[in-house]
Amino acid sequence: MNQECRIGVYICNCGTNIAKVIDAEGVRNKVADLPGVACARTYEYMCSNPGQEMITRDIHEHGLDRVVVAACSPRMHEPTFRKALESAGLNPFMLEIANIREQCSWVHDDRAKATAKAADLTHAAIRRVARHVPLEKQEAPYTPVTMVLGGGIAGLTVAVELADAGQKVHLIERESRLGGNLGRVDLTAPYLDSARDLLAEKVVLAETNPRIDVRLRSTLTDLMGFVGNFTATVTHQDGSDTEIPVGSVVVCTGYREFDASRIERLGYGRHPDVITSFELEQRLRSGKMETADGRVPNYVSIVHCVGSRNAKYHTYCSRVCCMTALKYGHEIKSALPRAMVTDLYVDMLSFGKGGEDLYRRTSELKTMFLMFEKEDYPVVRAAEADDDCGLLVQVHERLSGETIDVPADLVVLMVGMQARSDSDQVARTVGISQDAEGWFIESHPKLAPVSTPTEGVFIAGCCQSPKDIPDTVAQARASVAMVLGFIAQGKVEVDARFAQVDGDLCSGCRVCNELCPYTAISYDPDEGRSEVQSALCKACGTCVAACPSGAITARHFTDEQILEQIEGVLAWSTSQP
Amino acid sequence: MEYEPTIVGFLCNWCSYTGADLAGTARIKHRPNLRVIRVMCSGRVDPTFIMQAFASGADGVMICGCHPGDCHYLEGNDKAYRRFQLLKKLMAAYGIEDQRLRLEWVSASEGERFARLVDTMTAELKELGPLKLPPDLSLVPGPCPDPTAVREVTHG
Repeated sequence: MNQECRIGVYICNCGTNIAKVIDAEGVRNKVADLPGVACARTYEYMCSNPGQEMITRDIHEHGLDRVVVAACSPRMHEPTFRKALESAGLNPFMLEIANIREQCSWVHDDRAKATAKAADLTHAAIRRVARHVPLEKQEAPYTPVTMVLGGGIAGLTVAVELADAGQKVHLIERESRLGGNLGRVDLTAPYLDSARDLLAEKVVLAETNPRIDVRLRSTLTDLMGFVGNFTATVTHQDGSDTEIPVGSVVVCTGYREFDASRIERLGYGRHPDVITSFELEQRLRSGKMETADGRVPNYVSIVHCVGSRNAKYHTYCSRVCCMTALKYGHEIKSALPRAMVTDLYVDMLSFGKGGEDLYRRTSELKTMFLMFEKEDYPVVRAAEADDDCGLLVQVHERLSGETIDVPADLVVLMVGMQARSDSDQVARTVGISQDAEGWFIESHPKLAPVSTPTEGVFIAGCCQSPKDIPDTVAQARASVAMVLGFIAQGKVEVDARFAQVDGDLCSGCRVCNELCPYTAISYDPDEGRSEVQSALCKACGTCVAACPSGAITARHFTDEQILEQIEGVLAWSTSQP
Repeated sequence: MEYEPTIVGFLCNWCSYTGADLAGTARIKHRPNLRVIRVMCSGRVDPTFIMQAFASGADGVMICGCHPGDCHYLEGNDKAYRRFQLLKKLMAAYGIEDQRLRLEWVSASEGERFARLVDTMTAELKELGPLKLPPDLSLVPGPCPDPTAVREVTHG
């Protein structure tokens, strides 16, 4: 088999990313004489234009019919190299990638062992690619209708922008009103403009645009099909279901705030004048800046990083709290000019455009900044009868090294952001993953920030990780660009990797019918055989592994291809019998 | 030279392969003994693959899939689990030690967990030493029966 192939093998140095641990030239020398290998080369950056041109030139000059690239993860550049093959007239599936960066050079130090492993992986790829067959592309129409989950600033932006571009949108919101968490905010940092103004326009546009179907008190409960051709089931609070055909889904489900009562020493829930940042927003919006018993506060103490940057709660920074706290300095001083405002902080992270300026302006208001160790939250207790304040906040101040009792009538806790408790349900319904903290994972942190591994499902806003309004809106509009890209194409490429039943081998036992999670396999009683509907198949291969007659083939993951790969990784292993 | 076991890994594309990539992105060092083969789903792992790996010289096999309930294909990992239980019994009959075959759940965010699993299994296999299969025992299934013969049998 191999002798008939003409395989080109390309080993990437990835600058020093691979080369510093793996001897690419050594790998090349080891695999160059394997059966079927027509040429083998190393290069600095295979993914670069000259790297790709090297491959396409060899395809023509050496008459290559298959290509192996040993480089970064196929999750990174498989599409790049597939395109290179296509441009040289080869079927894009005649490619195999050996992952020698993420799963080799980046995780090993021992040069000899890492090089041996890289050679094994490349060998396996060569054995596998020899069994590759060209797969034809299939196309399906794209339904130019988009479902947006969540009616906060992210979801509203997506819905309004798409509708403005002339597209039909279903905006699904679980609560009884649009606006999300931003609807609970008074002014925004750093320019102190009104959140209400930002939102009101978008809400009106969403509610009045005939192209936007707003569904309140509703959730997405099922999503079947594939990009361009999903059927979404939306369930209303009253239990009624509606099935809606959509092309893409943009997930903008946001966040919930940290539960401050988890940190007992902060006194939340015990002292009525210890409130969260959202509760302060509510008071600022209603113009009622007073304590629980109706007094005008003389002292306001703001505690930063509540639930954030702490090994016990959430290790990440919630990104908006420092700026919001600085904003409170202005809002409190403008409502209560004589009040003393104290910020108890860990590090002042007032990053980004306008951030440092806001910090400077707040400092000029004569607010006090006291620093504490992040694992050592201040302790809130009731003041003595002869104190002129209701509460005392004890803080071990880092810079002075002193323990200070800060007077307070109102203590504001800057609660961080955390993933919504139902985010795992959302992730499962639309088929995306979550990180350890529950945030949705994007396809690539830098290059594909709003895409997900499920084609046609996008993420925007805080459901991906904590972020401020500008970043949220940027992601929302990026998702819109992705969706409009699909709509402009009008069609999608269907994965060529579906399962196929060989009618001659099928015994009609129907084991596969029950196994398929997508009901893609049906039984034809007249023929006594089962059949896979390729458009419904998602290529998991469960039926292939289960078929007692070996009648089902997983295209591009065939038994032969995987068995060759197994032989390939083991061919040079030291302990082979 | 010190004995170094070779482990063949079958990693599902969506959770575990991504988790293994994350170990790389985060530079979480681990033992270089695992050779990964990517499959779309742990449910794709045919018991034949595992037996073939042992027959071809693997000292261990590790199957990694999404956590229960998190399968990209809804329940492929559940199918893998059931198949794995059956295969474990078969392996015992062949005299292959229990530690040589593992099924683990690794999510896309568990780079650290993946790295530690590789280290643990490598250490266990080092202790166990190379796999010794009886020399006359062929684990590789013979050539496929003639398709037409199969049909005659099943369709009577």
